[in-house]
Amino acid sequence: MKRLGQTIRDLWKDPMGRIGMIGILLVILVAIFAPLAAPFEPDKMVAMPKSAPSADYWFGTDNYGRDIFSRILYGARVSLEVGIIAVGIGAVAGYILGLLAGYFEGWVDRVIMCVMDILFAFPSILLAIFISAVLGRGLVNTMIAIGIVNIPVFARTVRAAVISAKGLEYVSNARSVGVRTGAILVRHISPNVVAPFTVQATLALSSAILTEASMSFLGLGIQPPDPSWGSMLSEARTFMEQAPWMAIFPALFIIVTILLFNILGDSLRDVLDPKLKT
Amino acid sequence: MLCWDEHPPFPSDRYPQALACDIRNLNGKEVLTVKNAKKWLSLSLAGVLLTGLLAGCGGGNTPPASSAPSAPVSTTPVEGGILKYGTDSEPTGFDPHTVSEEASLRIINQLYETLVATNADMTYYGQLAESWEIPDDVTYIFYLRKGVKFHSGREMTADDVVYSFDRVLGKTEAGDIGALGSKDSYYGGIESVEAVDDYTVKFTLKEPNAAFLGNLTSNYGAIVDKDVIAENGDLMRADGGTGPFMLGEWLPDNYVELPKFEEYWEADRVKLGGITYYLIGDEAARLAALRTGEINIANLSSTNVTAAEKESNLSVLGYQTNDYIAMGCNLSTPALQDQNVRQAMSYALDRQTLINVVFNGQAQVSTMMPPAMGHWSLGADSFDLYQFNLDKAKELMEAAGYSDSNHLSLKLAAGLMDSLRQAAVVIQQQLSEIYIDVEITNLESGEYVDIWGKMSTPEAGFDLMVVSDGAGTDPNRAISFFFGTGSSANVFGFSNERVDELCALGIATTDEAKREEYYNEAQEICVEDSTKICIASPMKYFVSSTSVQGFAPSAADASDFRDTYLTQ
Amino acid sequence: MKQYTIRRILQLIPVLLGISILIFAVMKMIPGDVISGILGVEATPELRAQLAAKYGLDRPYIVQYLDWIGGVLRGDFGESIRTAEPILPQILTRFQVTAELTILAAVISWFVAIPLGILAAVKRNSMADRLIRVFALLGVSVPGFALSILLILFLSLAFGYFSPLGYVGFFEDPLRNLQIMILPASILGISISGSVMRMTRSSVLEVLRQDFVRTVRAKGASERVAIFKHVLRSALIPIVTLVGMQIGSLLGGAVIVEQIFSLPGLGQMTLTGINQRDYPVVQGCVLFIAFVYVLVNVVTDLLYAYIDPRISYD
Repeated sequence: MKRLGQTIRDLWKDPMGRIGMIGILLVILVAIFAPLAAPFEPDKMVAMPKSAPSADYWFGTDNYGRDIFSRILYGARVSLEVGIIAVGIGAVAGYILGLLAGYFEGWVDRVIMCVMDILFAFPSILLAIFISAVLGRGLVNTMIAIGIVNIPVFARTVRAAVISAKGLEYVSNARSVGVRTGAILVRHISPNVVAPFTVQATLALSSAILTEASMSFLGLGIQPPDPSWGSMLSEARTFMEQAPWMAIFPALFIIVTILLFNILGDSLRDVLDPKLKT
Repeated sequence: MLCWDEHPPFPSDRYPQALACDIRNLNGKEVLTVKNAKKWLSLSLAGVLLTGLLAGCGGGNTPPASSAPSAPVSTTPVEGGILKYGTDSEPTGFDPHTVSEEASLRIINQLYETLVATNADMTYYGQLAESWEIPDDVTYIFYLRKGVKFHSGREMTADDVVYSFDRVLGKTEAGDIGALGSKDSYYGGIESVEAVDDYTVKFTLKEPNAAFLGNLTSNYGAIVDKDVIAENGDLMRADGGTGPFMLGEWLPDNYVELPKFEEYWEADRVKLGGITYYLIGDEAARLAALRTGEINIANLSSTNVTAAEKESNLSVLGYQTNDYIAMGCNLSTPALQDQNVRQAMSYALDRQTLINVVFNGQAQVSTMMPPAMGHWSLGADSFDLYQFNLDKAKELMEAAGYSDSNHLSLKLAAGLMDSLRQAAVVIQQQLSEIYIDVEITNLESGEYVDIWGKMSTPEAGFDLMVVSDGAGTDPNRAISFFFGTGSSANVFGFSNERVDELCALGIATTDEAKREEYYNEAQEICVEDSTKICIASPMKYFVSSTSVQGFAPSAADASDFRDTYLTQ
Repeated sequence: MKQYTIRRILQLIPVLLGISILIFAVMKMIPGDVISGILGVEATPELRAQLAAKYGLDRPYIVQYLDWIGGVLRGDFGESIRTAEPILPQILTRFQVTAELTILAAVISWFVAIPLGILAAVKRNSMADRLIRVFALLGVSVPGFALSILLILFLSLAFGYFSPLGYVGFFEDPLRNLQIMILPASILGISISGSVMRMTRSSVLEVLRQDFVRTVRAKGASERVAIFKHVLRSALIPIVTLVGMQIGSLLGGAVIVEQIFSLPGLGQMTLTGINQRDYPVVQGCVLFIAFVYVLVNVVTDLLYAYIDPRISYD
């Protein structure tokens, strides 16, 4: 807990970190309070299709006559949900696998890392398309697909950190004194893994949101009428010249959100990486 | 509130004679403040670009601008000009007897010809057959045109016609799968095909078939060069046709070149030096390519036609198709076995609103006999079930036991095709007014076809499906192919003895008035039953450079470039 | 070193085997099949059975798999169900396009990112550093498809420019080929320049802190010479390894960019294959992509070991 506090304070000192933290907090607030803030129901056709932004419809309406501003607010929920749950799946599974592989080495390591290599050998978007083709479309399946794609990166990061942590004196001491495996993993190795892991998670969040957008662009992601930013942008493609606002706002929100996560991850890396401390 | 302005009439000078059909609301979206849109677009584009360029640090990623396309149009034809056609999807292959998807057919129609073909007014003219006679109900004798050459240079004779139909019917040597299922629906009634002499072919039918001539015009009726098949196994990548253009270089996923066939039997008529089909999957990119002159003709959806219209160097050609979109009910779903529920859905669909949203207003409310079928169609106006009536819909739902506290949940399958995808969203919205919660899944094409075939069983996993069907030119296809008991395209499990009986009567006579009577009754039964709730029949658009002249697409034939030429 | 090389290559075998099994299994599990795709509205059970027999799809999965993988080992990827063309020659032709696209994109990203990365490291925590970082991150944050479409629209509206159609190979007509490739390659390049920049920045920072650099500086060599001669050389090592990791995102990005710009590459071939449910084509393409990716990773690993003698491999 003390570490967390320290990390946040360090982040705050870095202007980039500050921007990242505030920005993401805002996005999260938007997602939480979408139902209160949105002037209209996101799926309701409330106005003339493709109306330009106006006092009533701040971001205009889409080709169905739905309020884009409301959909953007609700879309924050979908995008964050996809990002967080997908990364959660990838992180938890990757964490466990990486920890096991790194600690035991030997054949456990070889088998796990071989499977990770297999998954890693596919370009992520192709793998996600494949998995979602097997599972079927929809919010949950998209999350699972992107989650699975994320496993190998985490497993690798954690494994590398575990192996280097094992070389540390106090860990080998603990081992020689006969502390149980589980205890060593939890008490001594895990804390060392936290730093690279957190950085990875932040960056993975941004790429998960991006992958979801790309999948929706190909028509394979979130299903209507769920307002994910990616599917809104994809829908807007045909209307680029008629109603550019249909594309501009979702694109802007995707870019800014991903950018915020990247800025935070970047800054977090600087803060947490002891090698870079001067 | 949804409100729709009166649609101003079409500026007639801008649109060539090809527009025989309904184009009334093409300009209807003027209210959308296009000027405003343009300003928005360029401003925001500039902003996004600026940041993008800065991120990539500019250097070297903005290719030099080419000069803007020249606006003035002369009318002197360019001899041997190449038509550059932007297509939206990659053809699978060019075998006229096995392929049925649109991107391939577009090209197949240039390579191959049939005995008879369809005029814009749905009458027939002799293409490879110079003339024909029908001595009795079951005998058709075709007199072939002399001097017609295959692209190999060999003359086409009656033997080739016999061979082509043997192949379609799967009667040639083993391994030939012919026209697959279509052989039954199109040519199953053929008893025999004989070559009387080199230029005369006699078809004998098992029983009278009023749709026979119409069936001959399909691509499955193409006359092919058997030597080419012997050499290549099939025609997927080979060219055994007699058409005005030949298969040239094909770079998959990029372009297909069709040079002019110099020995075409009507070679003087063909002024183009060739057609090149470029794959440009993205619609916005197709419009951009049209604007810069990289291509000079493409299909665009009605949405972008409004944008194309604003360009002085582009012109728009539209025609009413005989396709229609519809929503089918899986009759294995208990709730949908109740005709009240099906009819309620039909009443609850505000078809005009759907047309405005999905087709930018460029479609007509349609039954299973779309308006383009002319006198065969009774017209949607004559059916109460096709008039939006929320009160009646609610009443029927309540009669079936549903209410605010007892909703019906249905799963709706849609495809990735824009019109199906968008129609699904509107349907979902409109049905929510009558206690129905619809869950949409957009299926990707392979999956879509798979589920489609299962839509009369619980195995499908869906209760409703949005489909786009081609009614064809003959009522026989429109009714018996899609509604006949056991017909392969009757996927929703509809079955009605009277309809089957009427179809049998309708195909057995050539008396137009009688046929109309039979099919009208069948149409009434199908509409009343509401297993397949039809919605709208859209317009289709070509956008071309103003330099493209002499192209007149119609529902009967939208790929005839024999009279087309380019001007300077 | 030799031992390490051999071991690394031996490790490939189970990975590639696993990849092939995974691909095969996925293709079988995906709902919807090629036969429905071919037959469309005309499908009847008899015709389905007839076609399934023709393509050997009625045999047990294990037989189908062994048949396929046996062919692959002999260099025969089978034939496309749709076009009846042999697949491997097609893959090789298509791969030239994708390879050119990715290499061009990588080169563009280096030209943009490495100088910026060095600048950011040298001027650490300055305004320039922050700006460069934000813009690099922005490059990573813009979805490639959105950037592509915006650029296409913008260039056509503002300059009447459209990326030329009708692909020609580099060796047929280099100039025209580059005209066709430059826009898609730049878009792809921008999307990865952020990570290259970040890697350059952090490895240069690390090297700058090392003793020998301090020595060089102390000796009085001008700072610029010090940076370029010593720092860059040491810093290049991690950047080289990044290439291996980039190949994955480049190949993935190529799928989307190829689709938008209609380039006849491997990604486009895969997507068309998926849409047409042409199993052998998709299997072949994905196996090939995975193979290239794994191979590039091994090569970079080996290169890394070769360049950096400090790392020992038992």
